[in-house]
Amino acid sequence: MKPRITNAAPRVLRPKSLADAVLLLAHAADESRVVAGATALQLEWQRGEPAPRQLIDVTKLPELAGITKGRVHMRIGAAMRLAELEESHLVARELPLLAETLGRVAAPGVRQLATIGGNIAGRTGCLIPTLLALGASIELAVDGAIFVMTLRDWLRKPVRRDDIVVSVQIPLLGTAHKTTHCKIGLRAAFTPSVIGVAGTLLLDSTGRIEMARFAVGGGATPPQCLDRAAASVAGHALAALDWRSLRDALVREIDAPSDPVRSSQYRKIAAANALVTGLGGERAIEQVCRSLPEPRPPAARDARKPDTVEVTRHALGERWRVRPDIADKVAGRLAYLTDHRRPDMLVARILRAGIPHARIVSIDTSAAEALPGVVAVVTAHDIKGQNGYGIVVQDQPALCADKVRYAGDAVAAVAAVDQRTAERALALIRVEYEPLPVVDDMESALASGAALVHGAGNLQRELHFARGDVDTAWSQCAHIVEDTYVTPRQMHAFMETEGGYAVPETDGTLSVCVGGQHGARDRMQLARILAIPEDRIRVVSSPTGGAFGGKDELTVQPALALLALKCGRPVRLHLDRAESSLGGRMRNPMRIRMRTGCDASGILIAQEMDLLMDTGAYASLSPSVLETCLEHACGPYEVANVRNRGRLAHTNNGICGAFRGFGANQMTYAIECQVTRLADAAGIDPIVFRRRNLRKPGSPGYLGQEIAPSDRLVEMLDAVSNSDLWRKPRIGTANKRLAIGTGFALLHQGTGLGSVVPDTGAGRLTLLPGGRIEAAFGLDEIGQGLMASIQATVAAALGCDRDDVLPVFGDTARTPDSGSTTASRGSYVVWKSAELMAPDFGRQLRRAAADLLDRRPDDIVVAPGGLRDSRANTDDLLISFATLAQNLAPQARPRAECAFDFPKTNYTAGNARFIFASGATVARVAVDRATGEVRVLDLEQHVAAGPVIDPACYLGQIEGGGAQGLGFTLSEDMILQGGRYIANNLDGYMIPTVADVPQTSRVFALEDLDRDDVFGPRGIGELGIGAVTPAIAAAVADACGVWPAVTPIPPETVLAAISEGPAQ
Amino acid sequence: MTDDMPLRFRLNGEERVIRVPADTRLVDLLRENFGLTAAKTACRIGRCGSCLVLMNGNAVNSCLLMAWQIDGADIVSAEGLATLPEGRIVREALVREVAFQCGYCAPGFTVALTALLRRRRDAAEAEVRAALGGNLCRCTGYASILRGAALAQQLLHCAVGDDIREVAHAGTSGQTDAAPVLE
Repeated sequence: MKPRITNAAPRVLRPKSLADAVLLLAHAADESRVVAGATALQLEWQRGEPAPRQLIDVTKLPELAGITKGRVHMRIGAAMRLAELEESHLVARELPLLAETLGRVAAPGVRQLATIGGNIAGRTGCLIPTLLALGASIELAVDGAIFVMTLRDWLRKPVRRDDIVVSVQIPLLGTAHKTTHCKIGLRAAFTPSVIGVAGTLLLDSTGRIEMARFAVGGGATPPQCLDRAAASVAGHALAALDWRSLRDALVREIDAPSDPVRSSQYRKIAAANALVTGLGGERAIEQVCRSLPEPRPPAARDARKPDTVEVTRHALGERWRVRPDIADKVAGRLAYLTDHRRPDMLVARILRAGIPHARIVSIDTSAAEALPGVVAVVTAHDIKGQNGYGIVVQDQPALCADKVRYAGDAVAAVAAVDQRTAERALALIRVEYEPLPVVDDMESALASGAALVHGAGNLQRELHFARGDVDTAWSQCAHIVEDTYVTPRQMHAFMETEGGYAVPETDGTLSVCVGGQHGARDRMQLARILAIPEDRIRVVSSPTGGAFGGKDELTVQPALALLALKCGRPVRLHLDRAESSLGGRMRNPMRIRMRTGCDASGILIAQEMDLLMDTGAYASLSPSVLETCLEHACGPYEVANVRNRGRLAHTNNGICGAFRGFGANQMTYAIECQVTRLADAAGIDPIVFRRRNLRKPGSPGYLGQEIAPSDRLVEMLDAVSNSDLWRKPRIGTANKRLAIGTGFALLHQGTGLGSVVPDTGAGRLTLLPGGRIEAAFGLDEIGQGLMASIQATVAAALGCDRDDVLPVFGDTARTPDSGSTTASRGSYVVWKSAELMAPDFGRQLRRAAADLLDRRPDDIVVAPGGLRDSRANTDDLLISFATLAQNLAPQARPRAECAFDFPKTNYTAGNARFIFASGATVARVAVDRATGEVRVLDLEQHVAAGPVIDPACYLGQIEGGGAQGLGFTLSEDMILQGGRYIANNLDGYMIPTVADVPQTSRVFALEDLDRDDVFGPRGIGELGIGAVTPAIAAAVADACGVWPAVTPIPPETVLAAISEGPAQ
Repeated sequence: MTDDMPLRFRLNGEERVIRVPADTRLVDLLRENFGLTAAKTACRIGRCGSCLVLMNGNAVNSCLLMAWQIDGADIVSAEGLATLPEGRIVREALVREVAFQCGYCAPGFTVALTALLRRRRDAAEAEVRAALGGNLCRCTGYASILRGAALAQQLLHCAVGDDIREVAHAGTSGQTDAAPVLE
């Protein structure tokens, strides 16, 4: 990573006239940059491009302003902002194609600044194909003169640094015409352009094409007019046009590059298809796309409708509560740990390796230390304890000493008086590296002779599970489906990147305040690194702006702690997105080869799986993810003969670890696709097929372990069978460009850490002097609604009001160790604690009140706000909690504590879960037959996880998990080349926007539990993402007959299957 | 520093004069110089919307705005939305729908929605989605935010003319689900 050297700020010049601007530019063209909206500058600087010495601001030049309609063309001043053009009635009326294209450029906030001149001058702008198709000219000021030339001619000339775009002149389309525009991107909106395409056809009075203009461009595609294709249609009658020939001509003519995300061939075909279908409608689609499979209606509704409730504010009425932290969050008042400032606080930065695999020869920090304003630089030499951490294996150095294993490895850290000084200091640290061969693929990592990431070899772990006789079973199968499912290196992309502050306290302790998911464990790991006792460290880990598993390990805590101790001053650090992307853990990419077979009656009899997953440079929680995979490999189905292998490989590909779903969602993807495909092969309805193979309630889990009651899989199938969305007719759209399909998948997911991992919970209740009941849990608020769930659960168990409960969390100084806020375990910990403590705590409250009021404890009950007479038929309080607390000596105030083991199964041959939740997801999608892009139209999630603790938080978890699953399925992947990520920020890494999420999103909860079920509400944090991918995959298959085995689903694969290939 | 530029702008209704390097970003000015931390930094390249502010009434990414670009401008940060009736209603609606989870993106969404509803109170859902197109949220899947936007439109609809002040005032009084109008 190249930090931008922030020396002097650029000078900003504001010429009064165009002539002055031209003079200024001519004088120092190499050092100057003409700017208007300047929206590209931060992007360029992030890429490491140097900042110019001076900026020439042209926004106020009168020549560059205004929109004027002339006789034959429209003149648009180059400094007109895109948002102004969007609002312009003149543009909307006279240049509708331009108006349409404007809305596809960046996002509204950016368009408030960005100008049309800037979009053109950069030569990669998304407006260029449209402007070319409209035959636009530009007015240029250069060498003291004004020229007008066509945009196409200007684009062919070499780039000059001394010209200024003054205006754009767009001919008005007088005659009858047809136009189209399509920006193909990486997601639905606010996306880099994969390729943009636009076309205009001018028609004579008989419907014959007088002239055509076709153009492509945008992003990596060089802007170009497609003259040969355009000439080929001139003179033809539009109604009789051979769209297939035109499409093929366009494909031949388009020059488009390949990159790691999309191939040249995809760009060409998708652009050509989009152009002809945009201009030719249904006729063109019929000519360039293959016919669609016949829609298959779902089987008759034969199921009992389960007793679910739709989770909405209206449906739940009184149960809908507003979480206690929401008003502060909405108003921007909530202080995150990265918002904290103190006058004496230093600013830290971390030096990252920037090279994927190398031996460190030397590190010289002297120049950095000598820079005025630098207070301390730390390297591995400053680590007094163990220079290694990791939840499972302590293989990751806090600061690398002799070797770097991925480009984001931390090598040194700096604390300085301000951000600019810290950044400059980083650039002054000289690290000499001896590069080592880069291990950039998990298959080749395991081949003999591969370079070693760690001394012990690149196979971090290998697990097996088998039962029955698979080899014999294959011969009994009537149908076998085999495929290799590939899943992405998904980035957590929490909105608040890693950061916080550390303070050496006056009493000699150290406070480390960084968003996390298990403060007590962070403290333990820090104590090992720093070689100071745990009780000398306080970790504050809440609130944090999203985690999703990505803040489960230590992040910036070691660097902050080392610096704070060395400086003896508070230090803060907040990773920017580029550094967060470079250094942070990702979801393990997987290659899942799965072979599954059933007999002629549709009974599953054999499954074989070979799973390979990448952990990158360090293990983190990946070995546990691997275990979870093996545990979920058959989903909720009984299969007699199984042979599974899972391997975890070290590479130099960043680092991987925990991410919501933790391997279960990838397994669900593979097995649910397999099951529906087998059902199709056997000619059996997918719901009926599943009913035949479902595990029986009360039967052992997949590994043979005992599991908790309240199996709700049948009910989830019933829910799908009764779903309006599932039964909605699969009809295409009006012009048939979109193919519509519906799919579903079932989910059975374990919660908790599993049988072989220590997993304990704890909680504490205390009546505070002011009368509030403090409920302390060493869990973290990561967005899920911990405060609401603590209040709701404790209030329900005690009988008090939610507002009587004061949640305290995320602080090792104020809470017991409740275990990690992961694995959907937090809800159970809070619920179980409340169950354990409420009787005793309630008794203490009643006894204290009875003593004070001279009554019998048995006649008093806990009520909202205080205690009341159990025999009275009014809500009047005998005494409020506040009065009670005031009248008690501190040691007499009620207090209860608990500690317990998370419920576990006795199975220890592998890691096995005991508590499971069920779910089902129905997705309806549209496949763009011209481009192969998939959009989710509707998503319906059915969840059976016991009682809903807080409806709003429940809904949020399921809907949010759904969107994250949608991103996993359609657009998210941190691609590497040679051990380096190709994207490092949210401009290249595509999480779903509001345009990508479904038009309708519905969540249904089945709340009941078996009578003998003593395990309460199940955690739901991972249920929302669990079955989204296979539901979308099944919907795509339903829409167009293609089963996507690779995620994110490459539009290229879909397109190749549904579009007629171009003639060679 | 000698090459600092003098900068004069309006921030949440107050005139501010400050000398800073010309390339200082507005988001850093807000957070570091004025202690206004509602604007968050999650990308710093205009690709997430967490730092949106109103500049002359329009929602703009404050990480893209450098000091030289805001000279003379009227800036309202997410904190300042409390001074606008629509801003108060937007907040109230988002609270009642529990539109956010981690909340880090929330102030940016309040700015984008306020800007939209001041201009087009009865925007169709497609327009609402278009106006929020530059705001990324990783927790919610946006559905709750869209429900919040729809509720804000309902509240605004019920609060025509002068009533808007009253509704908006009542709407932000409580931390919890005080329901001043509707239902």
